[in-house]
Amino acid sequence: MALPAPITTPARPKLSLRGIAKRFGATPVLDRLDFDIAEGDFVSIIGPSGCGKTTIFNIIAGLLEPDAGTLLYEGAPVDGLRGRVGYMMQKDLLLPWRTVLGNVVLGLEVRGMAPKEARDKAMDYLATYGLAGFENAYPRALSGGMRQRVALIRTLIVDPDILLLDEPFSALDYQTRLYLEGVLMEAVERFHKTVVLVTHDIDEAVALSRKVVVLSHRPTRVKALHDIDIADRTPIGARSDPHFSGYFHALCNELDIQTKRGQS
Amino acid sequence: MKRASPLDTPLGRGAIQLTLVVLLLAAWEGGVRLGWIQAFLVGSPVGIWHELVRDVSNGSLFYDTAITLYESIVGFVVGTIAGSLIGLALWYSRFVARTVEPLIVAFNSVPKIAFAPIIILWFGTGLTSKIALAISLTAIVALIAAYQAAKEADPDLQSLLVTLGADKNQVFHKVIVPSALPGIIATFRINVGFGLVGAVVGEFISSQHGLGHLVFTASSLYDLNTVWLGLFTLMAIGFALYFIIDLVERKTLPWKLDGVRQDLRV
Repeated sequence: MALPAPITTPARPKLSLRGIAKRFGATPVLDRLDFDIAEGDFVSIIGPSGCGKTTIFNIIAGLLEPDAGTLLYEGAPVDGLRGRVGYMMQKDLLLPWRTVLGNVVLGLEVRGMAPKEARDKAMDYLATYGLAGFENAYPRALSGGMRQRVALIRTLIVDPDILLLDEPFSALDYQTRLYLEGVLMEAVERFHKTVVLVTHDIDEAVALSRKVVVLSHRPTRVKALHDIDIADRTPIGARSDPHFSGYFHALCNELDIQTKRGQS
Repeated sequence: MKRASPLDTPLGRGAIQLTLVVLLLAAWEGGVRLGWIQAFLVGSPVGIWHELVRDVSNGSLFYDTAITLYESIVGFVVGTIAGSLIGLALWYSRFVARTVEPLIVAFNSVPKIAFAPIIILWFGTGLTSKIALAISLTAIVALIAAYQAAKEADPDLQSLLVTLGADKNQVFHKVIVPSALPGIIATFRINVGFGLVGAVVGEFISSQHGLGHLVFTASSLYDLNTVWLGLFTLMAIGFALYFIIDLVERKTLPWKLDGVRQDLRV
């Protein structure tokens, strides 16, 4: 199946990585990385394990400094997007000593919102995402899926410009995962969020994103860019789209994944 | 599945514990009466009882207990709070922390009790020197525990706060302090005991009152019953303080107790 050629992103991208390089000690991890993320885009980053996906995230989030290269935010160079990104990891990172409500208001609190206002806003969000009645529970009393849902609400409530998702659903069972993917997609559409998703799951990358960045082995460069053109963007709908398996196999080939029977 | 024995209940266990204590005391008293053991060297439960009645009725036991409690609690509270605050504050500067760490370890490796004579010289023979000794024992334990606990706070949680736009103070207050709290509170249990050690050892060396004074003077007079009375009172104090700490822990860390607790049989 023919895939669209690597695209050039229109006019001014939301976020651009220009020649980003990073080494840890003697090991070069990122080797002059370039790609753009457009406003409202949903971009997945896939690549072989150990290729530095999380490092890219930490650089975008402003947790790590690149050795070389520039990060452009709406055309202007920035050091990182501290305070402007929503970061979600595989670990839910809920503060165990805070209740669900306390965790959800965390970002609002950091920004200095009045406690009453923050609380009301959090209660609204909890109700919207089906967690009303759990506001006073501590995280350890919740299931993995619920905890990750709380983490998602905590990420969305501060209205970040860009969502950085680092395999947020990979520790969950498949059903919970489909459900949370649905919740995420709905929120992304509703609030017109720009999303960058790191995943090792090709299936998830194809189902959720509009664009996939394929990375090479270390030292990491961008190997290919793919547009995903699937109209139905619900998790199950996308997976049943006739084009789905074509993208899936193309990306598998790109990553040199060998299966015993070869490709269909 | 194996059923729990009817004795394995709070009431049943209490009954067994009480029986053991009563048996021990009875054997002790019996041994003394039958001349198998020398009352001169070990005292006797009935003799201790008489001592208790006398010291309670003349009020001296309460006075000595109050003095020792005061010294140890003030020493514990001041030492633990000061030590914990310094230990937490070391999180702020890796440079300062790394610089002072070996010095702290070196100081901690000296048996602090060895400082007692100097502390008495510096602070006199009154209550202040006992409090100072209790502080020197508790502060270092609290400092090391708090610093260690602060260092072990989950770096991912700190990163999360940073991505939310938090500054260093906010990371400290919202992540470092709460995650270090269980470790800090765990040292309360040890430090309550160290506070008592400081007070009692200080009283051994030089004092006019207190349970350490009671035990020390009585033993030099071979008044073993009074020695035991002092020791049992110290035991009761230690026991009571331990339970208070337990209560504090439960009140401060409700999130540790929430959720379903399962009794898994191994």
